[in-house]
Amino acid sequence: MSLDAQLRSVWFWLSVALVVILAVFLLYPLINVLASSFAGARADGRTGWQVLLSEPKYLRAVGNTVLLGLAVTFTCTLIGVPLAYIAARHTFPGKALIAILPLTTLIVPEVIAAQTWLMMVGNNGLLTRTLSAWGIGLPSFYGWFGLITVMTFIYYTYIYIGTLAAIRAFDSQLEEAARSLGTSPALSRWKVMVPVVLPAILASSLLVFTLVVGNFAVATILGHKVELLSVITYQTFVSEVGADPVMQSTLASVSIGIVALVLFIQRFVLARGRFEITQGRGARPEPLRGLAALGLTCAAALVIVISLLPLVSVVAGAFTRARGPVMRWGEWTTANLERVLVNAPDPIINTLIFASIATVTSILFATAVSYLVVKKRTVLTPVIDYLTALPLALSGTVIGIGLVISFNTGWLPLTGTSAIIVLAYVIRRLPFGIRNASSTLYNVPNSIEEASVSLGVAPMRSFVNVVLPLMLPSIAAAAVLVWTTTVAELSASVVVYSGGRETLPIQIFRLIDSGLMAQASAYGLVLVAAILIPIVVATSVFKLDIFGSR
Amino acid sequence: MATISIDRLAVSYAGTRIIDGLDLTIEAGSFFTLLGPSGCGKTTLLRTLAGFLAVTAGQIRFGEHDVTGVPAHKRDIGMVFQDYALFPDKTVFDNVAYGLRARRKDEAAIRLKVGEYLERVGLSAFAARHPAALSGGQRQRVALARALVIQPQVLLMDEPLSNLDAKLRVQVRETIADLQRESGITTVFVTHDQEEALALSDRIGLMRQGRIEQNATPQEIYRAPASGYVADFVGAANVLAIQTAGHPDPGRPLTVDLAGARLTVRAPAALSAGGAVLIARPEDLRITRSGATPNTLPGQIARKQYLGSRTSYRIRPASGQEIAVDLHGPGHNGFEVGEAVGVVFDPEATVVTPT
Repeated sequence: MSLDAQLRSVWFWLSVALVVILAVFLLYPLINVLASSFAGARADGRTGWQVLLSEPKYLRAVGNTVLLGLAVTFTCTLIGVPLAYIAARHTFPGKALIAILPLTTLIVPEVIAAQTWLMMVGNNGLLTRTLSAWGIGLPSFYGWFGLITVMTFIYYTYIYIGTLAAIRAFDSQLEEAARSLGTSPALSRWKVMVPVVLPAILASSLLVFTLVVGNFAVATILGHKVELLSVITYQTFVSEVGADPVMQSTLASVSIGIVALVLFIQRFVLARGRFEITQGRGARPEPLRGLAALGLTCAAALVIVISLLPLVSVVAGAFTRARGPVMRWGEWTTANLERVLVNAPDPIINTLIFASIATVTSILFATAVSYLVVKKRTVLTPVIDYLTALPLALSGTVIGIGLVISFNTGWLPLTGTSAIIVLAYVIRRLPFGIRNASSTLYNVPNSIEEASVSLGVAPMRSFVNVVLPLMLPSIAAAAVLVWTTTVAELSASVVVYSGGRETLPIQIFRLIDSGLMAQASAYGLVLVAAILIPIVVATSVFKLDIFGSR
Repeated sequence: MATISIDRLAVSYAGTRIIDGLDLTIEAGSFFTLLGPSGCGKTTLLRTLAGFLAVTAGQIRFGEHDVTGVPAHKRDIGMVFQDYALFPDKTVFDNVAYGLRARRKDEAAIRLKVGEYLERVGLSAFAARHPAALSGGQRQRVALARALVIQPQVLLMDEPLSNLDAKLRVQVRETIADLQRESGITTVFVTHDQEEALALSDRIGLMRQGRIEQNATPQEIYRAPASGYVADFVGAANVLAIQTAGHPDPGRPLTVDLAGARLTVRAPAALSAGGAVLIARPEDLRITRSGATPNTLPGQIARKQYLGSRTSYRIRPASGQEIAVDLHGPGHNGFEVGEAVGVVFDPEATVVTPT
């Protein structure tokens, strides 16, 4: 379509509206963060960057964050890649269990993962105390050991899912071709499959690295003496002795910079190794028998058990009697649950209200965006495409700080309202909604809409009559996904919330900070239920495909 | 039913002018086919008639109505698509009823009307099914019923048969022909398949690079192609370069020089001095052993292929292009490679046109 024809269409002006909204609520806060790091309005007249470079505390945090990112990416690859290969190419007893794996990251919020690990192996943990009663001392779980362990078991599923998809899509005829040319099976695999699957492994590794750099919950709860970027950014923000707006922006800018660098590397690497991957027939999984099968089953089972451990311990914790921070393991009670449900249900109510509004908003927005991006391409489409993917690269802390400094005063004062929490939710989870809502849209041919128009139905109405019903299942799946990730959101909401507007993750986070594990577990149980119930209903009652697994 | 008048139409898409200064009139109630290779602009023209593409310049009229700036949904058209474009979540009945419901007809009338059209396309028994439970041919019949049930002024079909296999293609083709005749709706049909075009059309517009090369009946297109391009696109043809002396006498046969042989052919309507082509279809040529036959070009058989019902020969004259000749009937296999023969041109079946 020519430009003047575009100017006349409804869709063009809808695109303009979307770009304006994204510019105000996403781009403007981001630019504010970057700009104020250079402003140099500190009391001592130095810019944030001068302070950053002169104070070892900040430099150590940057170094630690990168180091942690690398370490966790490495351990995640170590677990995720072999697990994916085995799942794609072999069958063995208990394999069905592996199918649950992609779920675990979704249904166990990070804050609960960190908390439950502490309940087991923390200084006061169940396992720690049991073992010390037998004279076995566990190393302290705070610091590097705990950070790497917990983050690994949260994030390895990303590498597992990415690698699994790539191995399944890999055309096993290529491998057969290599074997027919005289290479051994193992060597064929190495020479033919690895180069094809490697980009997927790399992409998911970079995603894990990004997530580790942006991680707030685990970093804060387990970091202890290890200074990390997300933690000191947050601390600078909440600091009682005069918050330091320049420094918080500078630190946020550093993490934006690290992620930008990672994305740049990714583009560079992918551009170098670009080859056409033909979607082929995957190989039939071969059954494993004997010792190998036993070993694999045990290893896979161990990984799954560890991944699901937080769920078990949160239930146990919620029903265990506690006196202050001391857990009386073995003594059961419903007092914790009664307390959170009856006496202090505010966090639950807040979470449900905020997340509901955010989910509805996200889905409306995501539906409009997907339709415009897939079906009604205009000159603005690349801009919308790029802007809506941006939140994936930004940590919650950065988004939160951006919103707070942008909408503190001025023409749209939102700080201290519930609206800013909802806004933070919507912005963070928008890419999830769009990715899901647009997935089926690519399979809806344009001719269907044209058929409706040719039969005398106006374009906008044609969309509602003909396209929307086809999008509904994926919109519903997107809604469940947005909901589940929104109720678990901590890192942005903890920055923007104000007293009386605590959500479940925020409340749990505060209780862990005070060492009140039983009550944290009780809220945790409610949170897990708020996540699990929609998933169960959606997948079993409405047969929705939430994880794109079918 | 409406006459379609297209006046100096220009259409640009993504910065390129695809149709430039096209004039065309399509008679009310006729079946008009836009025929041409991919990229010739036929689909662009059809989608412009539908209102899915904006007009850069010129005018389109349906009857007395200027529809140039009218949006697609207000043009009163029916459209049939290559990929059927049925609504997958609606039943066959609801698909066909869609246009009537958009026109707010009452439900009893709709039921009657939809039933009638499903009957016409032979799908009454399938009303409650979803499109996924139908074969390709059945789907296209539903699409046809859906487009016709609203009794549009103009029916537009965009390669509706090209996703079907050979046998179904003939069946659905016959359904289309019957329905169009019964309804008398002005129909524009886009295809790249010459057989479809010849079989279905009242007139064919053969398109080349965004303009109409020849607008004529199927017989004229085949028998009197306006150019070597037309002859070559519709059926097999020998397109041979010749030299002419200039303006022929109208009504008098013309004598031309082809590779040294003097041939008498039917006079063309107009001819300029210089380059021209002689067009003769392989099945219109004969082969002779006798040197005395008039209107004959001597040559040697270079190749032959026995094809059962006919034999296809290639004859190489002393100079110039090889000539294809198809022989049918008794003894069609009787000439051998290397034999010296003559190719006999029938003056009535030989056409001379400018290049």
